[in-house]
Amino acid sequence: MMMKIAAVFVMGTAVGIMYRIPRSLLFYGALNATLAWLVMVLLAGAGTDAVAANFFGGVALGAAAEALARRLRRPATMFVIPGFFPLVPGREAYTTMRYVVEGRYGPATEMAAQTLLTAGAIAFGIFVSVTVYRLALAGGLWKGADRC
Amino acid sequence: MKDVPLEEIVRLAVLAGEVLLRNGAETSRAEETMYHIARACGADQAECFVIPTGVFLTVTDVSGRPLTTMRRVKGRTINLDRIAKVNELSRRLADGRINHAEALAILSRVANERTGFSLVPAMAATGLVGGSFAVLQDGGPGELAAALLAALTVRYIAHLVSRLHGVQFTFEFLGALTAAAIGSAAHYFWPWLSRDVIVVGGIMPLVPGMAITNAIRDVIAGDLLSGLSRGLEAALTAVAVAMGVVIVLAVM
Repeated sequence: MMMKIAAVFVMGTAVGIMYRIPRSLLFYGALNATLAWLVMVLLAGAGTDAVAANFFGGVALGAAAEALARRLRRPATMFVIPGFFPLVPGREAYTTMRYVVEGRYGPATEMAAQTLLTAGAIAFGIFVSVTVYRLALAGGLWKGADRC
Repeated sequence: MKDVPLEEIVRLAVLAGEVLLRNGAETSRAEETMYHIARACGADQAECFVIPTGVFLTVTDVSGRPLTTMRRVKGRTINLDRIAKVNELSRRLADGRINHAEALAILSRVANERTGFSLVPAMAATGLVGGSFAVLQDGGPGELAAALLAALTVRYIAHLVSRLHGVQFTFEFLGALTAAAIGSAAHYFWPWLSRDVIVVGGIMPLVPGMAITNAIRDVIAGDLLSGLSRGLEAALTAVAVAMGVVIVLAVM
């Protein structure tokens, strides 16, 4: 487990370098990646459905990214991107392709649905937390906010 | 501050929009930044329209004289560092901490400077993305090393293919092909290594993270045209990657 947390942290930093995030922000991006991944893994470990776990991972990721963006006055994208990668359903997408090649269309359809739902859940999780943040801003719950 | 000629305002704002769009900013950021820059320079009204392949801007001065410019944006890359710099610049201009001429000088420098990391550190980072994802998929040291190598190679292919401008999705296809080939080869020579984990790690750098994130943000902001086209870009990228992997899996 510690090994995987370290791997997520390294991955967040490496994705930041890959997308040329300013060096001073690499640490925050990696931190955000670790947070989102931990939420996802702990929920999945507690018996939550994989799609729901990814949704809440996305929610945590979006909320933390918006909070960091307001605080550091940088675009939220810089904190979303590193956090997004460890959640990507790469294994599921690959397994779908393997089943298709092997001619096992039944399991392939099942796995494709799983991939699409997981990816959609992450995207929708980010969507939800960003929308809630904007609503809170529009409602004036957050004083002294600024465009970022 | 208020006596900047209309042509100069338009030049500065359009350049800012172009730099933002070229480096992967979302639509609403490009539009808002152009608007704020134009207003900070003393324009009476400013209207902008941004789609992923172009920037349109109309600025009206106090006497009611309008000026419209359109800039076609070709060749998009991803460089969040430049977006952060333009963001900072528009803030400082709006606060009056720098004037129009300084802003134009800084912006020209930002647009042309080489930022980020050179090829070797970028390759190392890309390799780490693949390797660490292999660890997340319960891969051992062997899988880690092989996925690292596969992802590294993918980044090198990006470097080679980047000269072929205007050919979309070739890089994703070739990258996935190579990653799958490396995974299969590693599994062939060392059968105890999991081919699946290596290939998944190797294709990780090809995930269209930027397109997906921007598609979400554009749709939330109501920029449906941009949101849809970026979503389609992400889907087509995924298809290109899948094709590359499927061909190798079918052959080997």
